[in-house]
Amino acid sequence: MSDMDDFLPGAPLTINWAVTNKCNFKCSHCYSRNDPSDELDINVLFKCIEGVAKAGVLSINFGGGEPLLRKDLMEIAKFSSQNSMRVSMNSNGFLIDSGKAAELKDSGFSKVGISIDSHMPDKHDNFRGIKGSYERAVKAISCLSEAGIETSISTVICKINHNDVDALIEFAIKNKVKNLNFHNFKCSGLGYSNKDKLDLTAEEWRDFYLHALKAKHKTEDIDISLDDPVIALLGANKNDSMVKGSICGKLSLNIKSNGDITPCGFIPMVIGSIIKDDLKDLWINSPVLERMRKKTPKGKCVTCDHYTECLGGCTARAIALTGDMNNPDPHCWRHES
Amino acid sequence: MKIFRNPDVMWREEDEYKSRAYEGLEKGEDVEKIGTSVLYLNGMMLSLNILGTEIWKRCEGSMLDEIVSELAGIFDVEPIVLKKDAEAFIAELKEKGYVRYG
Ligand code: SF4
Ligand code: SF4
Repeated sequence: MSDMDDFLPGAPLTINWAVTNKCNFKCSHCYSRNDPSDELDINVLFKCIEGVAKAGVLSINFGGGEPLLRKDLMEIAKFSSQNSMRVSMNSNGFLIDSGKAAELKDSGFSKVGISIDSHMPDKHDNFRGIKGSYERAVKAISCLSEAGIETSISTVICKINHNDVDALIEFAIKNKVKNLNFHNFKCSGLGYSNKDKLDLTAEEWRDFYLHALKAKHKTEDIDISLDDPVIALLGANKNDSMVKGSICGKLSLNIKSNGDITPCGFIPMVIGSIIKDDLKDLWINSPVLERMRKKTPKGKCVTCDHYTECLGGCTARAIALTGDMNNPDPHCWRHES
Repeated sequence: MKIFRNPDVMWREEDEYKSRAYEGLEKGEDVEKIGTSVLYLNGMMLSLNILGTEIWKRCEGSMLDEIVSELAGIFDVEPIVLKKDAEAFIAELKEKGYVRYG
């Protein structure tokens, strides 16, 4: 069922949509809150959402910034779900109490991911730059669950938490979330400026993934996802998906607050506009997406046995740190023999 | 045993590929490797060919035999072969979490 020749769906399956860049937090790894792009007016957004639904997109994940800082988020979500798309969101959780959770449910949100970077309150608060944010995030998870919304925890792996895999898993299980998503550190926006302080060395990434994969296989109480193509190096498939390497530009696209379309939130290459361009046409014909889908191995990737699975690793990181999407992901620890 | 789609799965038919596959089928070509639908679950994509898609569309509480007899009217395949293929396909969907038995 998965061996279709060069299958490219006719439109993205899912869209990550940054409806605002405003944020109430001051995270050191943030890629968006310093982005000065405008926000689209709700009526323009409705037209764009209609177009996205017509193209066949199955789901929208709202992000930002903090999406809840858009006063009309509930209307936008409701409109999207009325247009037959599944709606989810990533939030820092600070503004979610039981009333807000009920509103989210009524507006069609089926899933909300809450960002939590440490199981230790002070560590999380310091990293996110806001006192009390840990407590509010934990509270948000329980309010969302009570409202009948599926929850997940998103954790960006970096210097402050890479040795805490077991504790983070235990924490997620205790808080009864469905998924725990360990995200690799992307080096975009402030993540780039703070990379020396926050990013791991290639060897630290290897040790983290060795540990995390072992923990994932032993843990039955929760789904743990590791979205990093480089884990192919440890013999692990990213997942059972047909899509190899990075998923951006193959399954998903990112829309910025001003309507600009980029392959993913961490790749600052604008391929078009959701206001002006035809989404399906861009999806099929964008030269940038074409290059991302047909990467040419360079450097140590040329001789790597894992290339068909890994495809040079995370494209966003290769671009951010080397300027060339075909270069090996700088997080890759493989040494050429 | 009734077969149900996992409601968490999002899916759609791929119109262009679908018409290409049906045209090919009419001409007697091998269309097994043309994906005519996509399933999307937990960030994973699965593409199904024409037979897989028709089976998937019927996983709404039907029994295997019911699905097979409906498909026998569409595809020119021996019922025994069709049943074997459908059974294996559904078992794989079950293992991957795309369908449930009820
Ligand atoms: S990473 Fe997210 S929560 Fe943190 S400042 Fe940026 S937008 Fe806000
Ligand atoms: S050498 Fe290249 S293809 Fe091989 S694991 Fe590293 S990044 Fe991936």
